[in-house]
Amino acid sequence: MRLYEYEGKELFKMVGIKVPKGVITSEPIKWEGKAVVKSQLLEGARGKRGLVRVTDDVYNTILELKKLGIQKFLVEEYIPHSKELYLSALIDRDTGDPLIAASPEGGIDIESSTNVKTFRIPLERGVKTYDVIAIEKYLGVKGLEPFIKGLYSLVVDYNAELAEINPLAVLDNGNLVALDSKVILDDNALYLHEDLLKKFNRQEQVESLVELGGDIGIVGNGAGLTMATMDMVKLSGGNPADFYDIGGGAGREKVREALLKVASLPGVTRVFMNIYGGITRCDEVAIGIVNALNELEKQGKKIKVYVRLVGTNEEEGWRILKEHNIPVYQDFKTLLGEALRS
Amino acid sequence: MLQYGTKIVAGVTPGKGGTEVYGVPVYDTVADAVKEHEADASIIFVPARFAPDAVYEAVDAGIKLIVVITEHIPIIETAKMIKYAKMKGARIIGPNCPGIINPENSLVGILPPRAFRKGKVGIVSRSGTLTYEVSELIKKELGQSTVIGIGGDPIIGTDMVEVVKAFDEDPETEYIVVIGEIGGTMEERVAQLKKKGLIKKKMVGYIAGLTAPREKRMGHAGAVVYMGMGTFESKVKALKEAGIPVANTPYEIKDILLSL
Repeated sequence: MRLYEYEGKELFKMVGIKVPKGVITSEPIKWEGKAVVKSQLLEGARGKRGLVRVTDDVYNTILELKKLGIQKFLVEEYIPHSKELYLSALIDRDTGDPLIAASPEGGIDIESSTNVKTFRIPLERGVKTYDVIAIEKYLGVKGLEPFIKGLYSLVVDYNAELAEINPLAVLDNGNLVALDSKVILDDNALYLHEDLLKKFNRQEQVESLVELGGDIGIVGNGAGLTMATMDMVKLSGGNPADFYDIGGGAGREKVREALLKVASLPGVTRVFMNIYGGITRCDEVAIGIVNALNELEKQGKKIKVYVRLVGTNEEEGWRILKEHNIPVYQDFKTLLGEALRS
Repeated sequence: MLQYGTKIVAGVTPGKGGTEVYGVPVYDTVADAVKEHEADASIIFVPARFAPDAVYEAVDAGIKLIVVITEHIPIIETAKMIKYAKMKGARIIGPNCPGIINPENSLVGILPPRAFRKGKVGIVSRSGTLTYEVSELIKKELGQSTVIGIGGDPIIGTDMVEVVKAFDEDPETEYIVVIGEIGGTMEERVAQLKKKGLIKKKMVGYIAGLTAPREKRMGHAGAVVYMGMGTFESKVKALKEAGIPVANTPYEIKDILLSL
């Protein structure tokens, strides 16, 4: 689960990472002196889109941004600084140990940076002074300890998959302040942090859907098969609207929910389903599809569904779909050929 | 698994000790079970919140191969349990995996038997259903030696590199198919081995996630690109540079194998 900047900064404060003084508001407020008004959105590149503004007139800046549809703002003291660094923590997939990633070039898109160095901190021992010294030397600053320990703690104690400070500002007096936060929590560990979810008024949710913006809805079972499905649609000249994995062993309810959700995406008129039933039963899938289509018909929505369905109880699944005149295929290649032509 | 011929000697469910399921005796703890039976492997279907405990229990009872089917275990818990197993000399396959099948011999997992026939292709994959799909496509002409689903999580007990090395030494395996996806660097590491000439057998690769956006999790906890690491492009490039043909679709894997 990706956190808003202000939520990430709340966590920063809890683990001892210094952030600018600020308030969160949804309405224009009075503010003495220079401030930074930061629109709270989950997407990146806010700066480029003009949604982060340095201003002496906080009140009117918020009014203007509200006209653009922004609902929440973090207003912070303006912090003059001479240098920006990058610092983050995540788990190394190969060793299972936390990594600290650091770059002397902060404030930019880290993917395009060429001088990111990673420091592995074995889980068994945690952050030691000599780790801190090595990273301070690389970045050419002092006073990193609370930042490194804080980021490490977010990964190990708060189940963050990624905890990032970009930029980390270096002030003229040498002090350090985290100007921005990006924290992504492990969805599978949210049950361990119910207090945080409550505090942020966020709900634990399983994200089975990723929107891609095209017009062909995609539903599959299993992440690999679903990804392969959207890739094949794209390679054949179609435009996938989404990625939706119903997971292993999905019953009729899950299938119905998936199809309704995908059918409701803007611009979707066709949905391609690709199901290989192992622990998933084809008859259950078929019933789910029929139920969803009945509902869509009642809503007056015209959605064409093409289904590739094989595996456990396939014959019963085919029978149910054919009974309702829903095109069913045993091979996704054939489905693609026919469905894209229609 | 029983139907497939896997010798299941015991089941473990706390509180169910002394009962039987399909003629297999059930025990309260793994320690109780290994007192009565000789077991080489354990398979874990326990829900995510309790799965790590089940892994520790199996390791402490001296089991050396543990297949973890369970999905949704927190990453940090997985990292800890894998470190513990390694320290104790046990191997974990998974978590979040469909298991392992040696066609017409043995199955430890949930792979559907219909997709497999004894043959010469070793398949290692990060995905479940995609593996069944590819297996079924090559079933008639080639068949499979062993198929391992290593799991879709970011941290797993047995990685692609280890499996590819094992296939290279396995006399039953003639060709190796690697089914990868975005995220992590396993596919890149496999490619490096091949490039260095450390893998002798012919290989075919496939990577899912051509159209996946950055920083979005694509179903699997492990199918996500952070800080530009493990993109589709980087994997395909690495495999191709190592001389491993890369299929554009799962269907092409069969065509490439038949042309090798």
